[in-house]
Amino acid sequence: MRDLAFIAFLLAFFAMGFKRPFLLVLAYLYIDIVSPQRLTYLLLNTVPISLIAFALAVGGWILKEDKRDTRVGARQVLIVLLMLYCWLTTINADFPAEALEKWDWVWKALIFAAFLPLTLRTRLRIEALLLFMILSASSIIIIGGIKTIASGGGGYGTLNLMVDNNSGLYEGSTISAVAIAIIPVIIWFMSYGTIFKPDWRVKTYCIALVFACLLIPVGTSTRTGLLCIGLLAVLSIRAVKRKIPYLIMLGVLGLAAVPFLPSTFTNRMNTIKTYDADSSALTRLAVWQWTIGYAETHPFGGGFNAYLGNHIRFDVKSAGDDPGSRVSVDQGRAYHSAYFEMLGEQGYVGLALWLAINVIGIVRMEILRRRYCDPDGDFAWAGPLAAALQTGHLVYLLGATFIAIAFQPFIYMLIGAQIGLDTYLTRKRGEVSFRSMRRTPSAVPHPASA
Amino acid sequence: MINNLALGLSHGLMILAAFLLLRRPDLDREPGPHDAADTRPGRTRTPPGA
Repeated sequence: MRDLAFIAFLLAFFAMGFKRPFLLVLAYLYIDIVSPQRLTYLLLNTVPISLIAFALAVGGWILKEDKRDTRVGARQVLIVLLMLYCWLTTINADFPAEALEKWDWVWKALIFAAFLPLTLRTRLRIEALLLFMILSASSIIIIGGIKTIASGGGGYGTLNLMVDNNSGLYEGSTISAVAIAIIPVIIWFMSYGTIFKPDWRVKTYCIALVFACLLIPVGTSTRTGLLCIGLLAVLSIRAVKRKIPYLIMLGVLGLAAVPFLPSTFTNRMNTIKTYDADSSALTRLAVWQWTIGYAETHPFGGGFNAYLGNHIRFDVKSAGDDPGSRVSVDQGRAYHSAYFEMLGEQGYVGLALWLAINVIGIVRMEILRRRYCDPDGDFAWAGPLAAALQTGHLVYLLGATFIAIAFQPFIYMLIGAQIGLDTYLTRKRGEVSFRSMRRTPSAVPHPASA
Repeated sequence: MINNLALGLSHGLMILAAFLLLRRPDLDREPGPHDAADTRPGRTRTPPGA
């Protein structure tokens, strides 16, 4: 039954896409995030729907789109360079078969991230992209939120998000970081959405979705999610006018939430303080140390999944009053950090490219946030959107410290939205200048300069 | 049950959003500098707030 519903949904989506090709881009985005082929047992999982959607999206753009005002951002070039570099490390990888496995999905995420901004020619397209990203992720987040409330917290690795194989957004830590990262964008829709006008129904839905997002780190008991919530709370201070009452409200809400948190969550969060008695945290530190040493002998990276070659040993302090410690050994442990994932797999060159893509995004969004801060200007929606995308990106970069999500496709879509917003606003600025030259300069309001 | 409810809700909203997008001419085209003063029928203008 579910199979038929998914097929009907996809067919309707594709049919609409033939009328408006941009919807095919949204269809690919949906398939990449939700992976409907993994939620069904028949039919869909035998057809390469992701590939079909990608071919349709690109084909639609090539054949039917107006490409006169297409701009290519510097970060799109960097993304393509990163992809080519990853290809080079893949063919020279320490573990060729395993590297090819990861390359198989990484190149798709990167090529789509480079392609996506080309299609974002109008404000509505940027909004539609973000709306579909949120709605797609919400199909996982709502389930996680409801199950967290119903079960009183699932505990680490046990929250059932429909798919068992713990990959993509269905992995607990990843969905925790992503759920918190999209909260600022959900809040942006409460004021500036035009597809669903922000009336009481939309606002209620958005608030409920934000609540579900906040429940995901509780349900999955991920420490990274808690840190992300903390960063989000700090960054949100700059968006509110009355900061002191807001801070007091945050404190009261935080304290009021503690009694409702399940013990599985509070027990796990307490281990942040006793990291030296926690083998999960110590394994990470040992792997990171190994990666730094590995990069010295392999400065250009060992290719995807190079961590499989590691052998680590570390001291675990005994919990409680016992002062002794025991030596633990392990091998083939994953990076548990996007920064070390890049360093180990792609070396210093790959890490530098990846950092450049991310840091330029943060800086560009800061420039746009300040440039379009006038609430009465023509682009009053743009400054808050840049701020929301920047906050989401910063939350991701914090989460990425403890999760190996350097190539998470969802984040590359967020980066694609940033580039699209940036090139769109640059084009609009150019148009305003053009009009100003043609007509009376006072007739067209200039956006405030940075 | 919960799975189907959440999937139905999110997918229903996506179909509705796609349908609403079909009816929005500014999805594909916003007025450019060359047609700022162009008021011919069929030409679209930026929606409020855009």
